[in-house]
Amino acid sequence: MALLTVSDLTRDFGGLRAVDRFSFTVEAGEILGLIGPNGAGKTTVFNLITGFLRPTSGEILVEGRSIVGLRPHAVIRRGIARTFQLVKPFPKLSVRENVTLAAFTHEPARRRAEAVACQILERVGLGDRLDAPAADLTLGAQKRLEVARALATRPRVLLLDEPMGGLNPREVDEASALVRQIRAEGVTVVLVEHVMKAIMRISERVVVIHHGEKIADGAPERVVQDPSVIAAYLGTRVA
Amino acid sequence: MTRVAIVAVVLILMMAPPLVTTNQFLLHLAITVLLWTLLGASWNLLGGFAGQVSFGHATFFGVGAYATMILYLRLGLAPWYGMALGGAAAVLVSLPIGLICFRLRGPYFSLSTLAVAEIVRLVALNWEALTNGPVGLLITALPPVALGTRGINWESKVPFYCIIAVLAALAMAATWILSRARLGAYLLAIREDEDAAESVGIDTVRAKVLTLALSAFFTGLGGGFYGFYFHYVDPDAVFPIAVSVEMVFIAVVGGLATVIGPVIGAVFLTTIGELFRERFQVGHLIFYGLFMMLVIRYLPEGIWGGARRAWTGRR
Repeated sequence: MALLTVSDLTRDFGGLRAVDRFSFTVEAGEILGLIGPNGAGKTTVFNLITGFLRPTSGEILVEGRSIVGLRPHAVIRRGIARTFQLVKPFPKLSVRENVTLAAFTHEPARRRAEAVACQILERVGLGDRLDAPAADLTLGAQKRLEVARALATRPRVLLLDEPMGGLNPREVDEASALVRQIRAEGVTVVLVEHVMKAIMRISERVVVIHHGEKIADGAPERVVQDPSVIAAYLGTRVA
Repeated sequence: MTRVAIVAVVLILMMAPPLVTTNQFLLHLAITVLLWTLLGASWNLLGGFAGQVSFGHATFFGVGAYATMILYLRLGLAPWYGMALGGAAAVLVSLPIGLICFRLRGPYFSLSTLAVAEIVRLVALNWEALTNGPVGLLITALPPVALGTRGINWESKVPFYCIIAVLAALAMAATWILSRARLGAYLLAIREDEDAAESVGIDTVRAKVLTLALSAFFTGLGGGFYGFYFHYVDPDAVFPIAVSVEMVFIAVVGGLATVIGPVIGAVFLTTIGELFRERFQVGHLIFYGLFMMLVIRYLPEGIWGGARRAWTGRR
């Protein structure tokens, strides 16, 4: 059974159908890329899976159990964690406190939760900024902080919304390494990304969404040659 | 260490007035300060920690006051039990309000609390069978209570002083406990970013409703004390917007999400309010407003917050 199954997911905003009978599965242990042009519905799909939006129709299953209708805090407890496209740290709280709050999901005792938080922060390379307010970090570091926060909830699937957007090339390489490291530690990763080179390099499988519909699903090198994908990104020639 | 010392000093100062003066006006002023400390601290639990600015806390104050009065006048229930039940009644009222208003965020939440408070005020004004409408409810005599060999002398202000001092200290203790509890940490996260709080597994609605209930309980106790102390309540006295707004002012001027802040806010605003009233007569609210603007402009963290920053900055 797939770890995460999304079937016929649909979401309307007024008269606009942002996501249209969108289906895909995520297998345990893979790195899956979700790509598509601007406004294709990628972030909406994340918001639907994580409970920030309710689907108009369709089903979302985690190991066969539906999570549709659960609020975001309850989705977390089913093992689905996320980061945000526009980072949302707790700006005035320290880096350590940011992650400790997430660690409370499994460690009710503060001291233990803090220990878990420090260990995860070490892993994502923020071990030397524990006491800094989150607002003082660079964008790259804030994105790492969000990853650390998501990891502290002990997810089975981690949804990363543009983890490389706005980063410089060196930071993009570091972020790619971090994604691989997370997967190596046993967490399945789904990422939405605009930085095509990076996503093609680290994803084992890519799902392409366009106008809310799935137009391709397969290995990255196959997907980039798919005529419908090329048309979606570059437009079609008017004959 | 310094923190413990400060709290000890404040607690001793809180207990001191009846020992150093028998002046009825000064004792009345001290009781007023402590009542506002209790109310400011109650509001602070929700507004300071969770950043949920309620403009409707007069609802819980009024419900507590009326519950205590009605229980005493109709059922003869002594005011101390009545006050506790007044707090409980405020909690009951807070639950549906929380579940409705917390669907909204930021300024929309604040406006909805204001609207609900007005609805409750109008209900109290018009439900004459229960509340006696605009005429209000009056206690003519408090029950005799034995204390050792003598009874408590209700003509004196000292027993009232002792009761409100204990209630205010309890509200401050609740603030301190909250600041150390997991719930307190959750509330700070909610204040910073509600979506992010949900995304790390915090049930934000539950945390806010729980905190509102706690806040309503202490506000309701304050309302019960008010009825008991003044022997009289009517809708304009216990349900007006002014009461809600004053609670916000005290918490903000004193220092949000601090234990000591509400005491300092209550001391400043009550004494300055009295001073301005005496000095400027009709126009006193203009100066009161000016004072508020100055504090918010130059001490956005409140008097206590600003003092604490100056202290840690110096070291």
